[in-house]
Amino acid sequence: MKKMILGLSVFTMMLVLAACQLGTGDGGKSITVYSERHYDTDQLLFDMFEDETGIEVRVIDGNADQLINRLDSEGPDTQADVLIIADAGRLHRAKAMDLLQAVHSDVLNENIPANYRDADAMWFGLTKRARVLVYHPDRVDPSDLSTYEALTGPAWEGRVVTRTSTNIYNQSLMASFIEIMGEEAAKDFAAGLVDSFARTPSGNDRDQAKYVVEGGADVAIMNTYYIGRMLNSSDPFEQEVAETVGVFFPNQETTGTHVNVSAAGVTKHASNVEGAIKFIEFLSSETAQGLFSSANYEYPVNERVEMDALLKEWGAFVAQDINLSVLGEHSYRAAIIMDEVGWE
Amino acid sequence: MIFGRRLKNSINLFSVVSVIAGMLIIVPMLNILVELFSPASDTWRHIQTHLLRGYIVNTLLLIGFVAVFSASIGLFTAYVVTRFDFKGRRLLSWLLILPLAVPSYIAAYTYADMLSYTGTFSRALRAIGLRHGINIMTLPGAVFIFVMTLYPYVYMMVKSALEKQSASFTENARLLGASKFRSFFTIVLPLLRPALVAGTLLVVLETLNDYGVVAYFNVRVFSFAIFDAWERLGDISAAIRLSAVLMVIVFAIIFLERFLRGKRRYTLHVKNRPILRKPLVGLNRYLLPGSLWLIMLFAFFIPLFQLFYYARLTYRHVLDISFIYLVINSLTLAITATFLTILIALMIANFNRGRQSAFKRGLLKVTNLGYAIPGAVIAIAVIVFFIDIDHALYPLYRLFNPDTGRLVLTTSFAMLTFAFVLRFMAIGYNSIEAAYDKVGEKFTEAAYSLNHSKVSTLIRVDLPLIKSGLISAAIIVFIDIIKELPLTLILRPTNYDTLASRVFRYAREEMLQESAVPSLFLIAISTLLIYILTHQKKKGVRIHVRKS
Repeated sequence: MKKMILGLSVFTMMLVLAACQLGTGDGGKSITVYSERHYDTDQLLFDMFEDETGIEVRVIDGNADQLINRLDSEGPDTQADVLIIADAGRLHRAKAMDLLQAVHSDVLNENIPANYRDADAMWFGLTKRARVLVYHPDRVDPSDLSTYEALTGPAWEGRVVTRTSTNIYNQSLMASFIEIMGEEAAKDFAAGLVDSFARTPSGNDRDQAKYVVEGGADVAIMNTYYIGRMLNSSDPFEQEVAETVGVFFPNQETTGTHVNVSAAGVTKHASNVEGAIKFIEFLSSETAQGLFSSANYEYPVNERVEMDALLKEWGAFVAQDINLSVLGEHSYRAAIIMDEVGWE
Repeated sequence: MIFGRRLKNSINLFSVVSVIAGMLIIVPMLNILVELFSPASDTWRHIQTHLLRGYIVNTLLLIGFVAVFSASIGLFTAYVVTRFDFKGRRLLSWLLILPLAVPSYIAAYTYADMLSYTGTFSRALRAIGLRHGINIMTLPGAVFIFVMTLYPYVYMMVKSALEKQSASFTENARLLGASKFRSFFTIVLPLLRPALVAGTLLVVLETLNDYGVVAYFNVRVFSFAIFDAWERLGDISAAIRLSAVLMVIVFAIIFLERFLRGKRRYTLHVKNRPILRKPLVGLNRYLLPGSLWLIMLFAFFIPLFQLFYYARLTYRHVLDISFIYLVINSLTLAITATFLTILIALMIANFNRGRQSAFKRGLLKVTNLGYAIPGAVIAIAVIVFFIDIDHALYPLYRLFNPDTGRLVLTTSFAMLTFAFVLRFMAIGYNSIEAAYDKVGEKFTEAAYSLNHSKVSTLIRVDLPLIKSGLISAAIIVFIDIIKELPLTLILRPTNYDTLASRVFRYAREEMLQESAVPSLFLIAISTLLIYILTHQKKKGVRIHVRKS
């Protein structure tokens, strides 16, 4: 008797769980987003989109590779309509795995400059991030700074910090070097940079800035928006660190500062393509782009948008002149090179 | 008639549930293991030449040090608390479990922050003109974090074994003239062996499975390597090969333990005479309790104070109504998954008692597999498995709702729950097995001979006997689930946030201050649970055993 009760209760539980899911289909009234971005600002934008269009936004956030893998295993049955990822290289990977579909939208073409969207219209950049040099003004004269490559000389030995080679931003930085200067030169650069490291890489971007202020290193390679966010940190001491350091945009006279994007694409098997496009269009609109800039200190891709005061203060800069798809094409070789030169 | 009865005896609830559970666990794993037979990729060769050696060395160093230190601390704390009497002993005896409520990744973020340039510790030192040269983001730092957050596994198990150890052994040894040290090393310690080993093994497995700490500290061990191969190098099959190597290491450790343990059995049939706790004298009156408080300070209070400080800075814009949902989600998930895990573990433990056949042993190994495989790999396996199930059940779904999508279970809470059961089965099972080990089979056999059915024996005889073991198994599983990260992140349904996923979201965006509030909620729930379960009235199943 007890066996039966036990067996039955387990069975009913599974059934109830399944039944909860059944009947939740709702013709076109919702979109499902797999997103790697999960800032509070993004949630705010999703809510705004819901209010504006009546289309509910359902989100699973997670790391890029896990989301891509999930999308891949779900195949044609996926519930995902939109994929948002914070690195052009990974979006390229999703495209190569045939997980995205081409989108034809005049709004997107108008809002987003061509080099920040995929050549085949599979993904569209939403925000730009610049990877810059952050220095301590007491120990580094900005006139001594010029390019990323210049940090590899003996003058910089033991003075540079950055994150690990596993960090996607560094991987994409290397990928851009492979594109611009070829694999040989990129490898020499990586090897030289490792010689300049002040410590075995560890920690996140903010930790690199702190290490510079602490005196462990003189220059950090990191993304601009972390400085913006530290300036507005809830911890007053982080604000102090961000106020202390200087920001330098390298390679202005040469190949340009490395820029990456966070971007969105419509999934190949999206069930609500129309809603998905509307959603991405909304994210490229001036309202949304303004918020990306003012609340998260990322550079808007939409050039009509007024930038945040802080970004304006840093001034305009020359970015690498490459189509960001190449970051994905070279990301594997970039990883291999970093391992070979011992960049941990 | 006789044949029928035999069949009836071997097909029972336990065997059926065990076999089904075994199948459910092995099938998703097969999807993964198949990858092992694909030819080695270039990535794999790259890993072999440049990275593998480092991974193996670091992993062995990490688990070696973590095992030695957490075993020592767990043993020391448990011994002091059970054998000596001092002020604050009762309080400490449950406080010492609390560090388990602090997820390793939260401890790592907190300590790294405190020791960073802007951290409280560095600032305090600078205020008096000092600087510290501590870099916690290293292998020794990771050892420290794991020992501090995981030693309670050893503590709990050793303490419960010590409490059950009869005083007569040590007393006899002392009467026969053995020194304190000798009686400890030749009597007490060997008897504690199963508990000490089981606890340390849990610590080692948790360490091997952690990703948060090693990723942040850039300590290149296997769990790090698996994610790295998958994400940076984009090669899942290399990632799976790496987890296969990891599994070999785990099995080697388990096998070594079984081998060293040999045929010794640890069930004791003696009159249980409780040990009288000795009051501490001399310097020890301060030294021993002092060292316990010191451990508590580092493992619990320091991270907690830091989190409170940050929570004070951020609660205004972090804490909102959605927090209720986070708490509810975390609780529902953890309760359901814990209940199922313990239930199935109990069935399997029952199935495995008594005579062992090769089939049973094999099944056991399989069901224990989940713990040896990193969370992210389990996640891949579970997704593929659930998609297959959904495809098979699609016709059934259409009976309920003709417009239904195909992926019903895959998009539901069931997938995550299943993954948790798969992942934490080994913890549940091993704790229950240890409890059964202590009880022996006498009572169960007696019940069977009195013609009680297996289920009735389980409920009326076994369950009361192993209740405390069952409860501690449930606490451990619950706490593990509520703080679990990779599975939660990958497998949860849409818009389903838990406390752990919220902590991770902030930590990932380098907003440690903001993550303090959900972290504190997480710690509070676990703390409350530990408090309730350590303070429940002992209803006392009194057992009188005569020496046979």
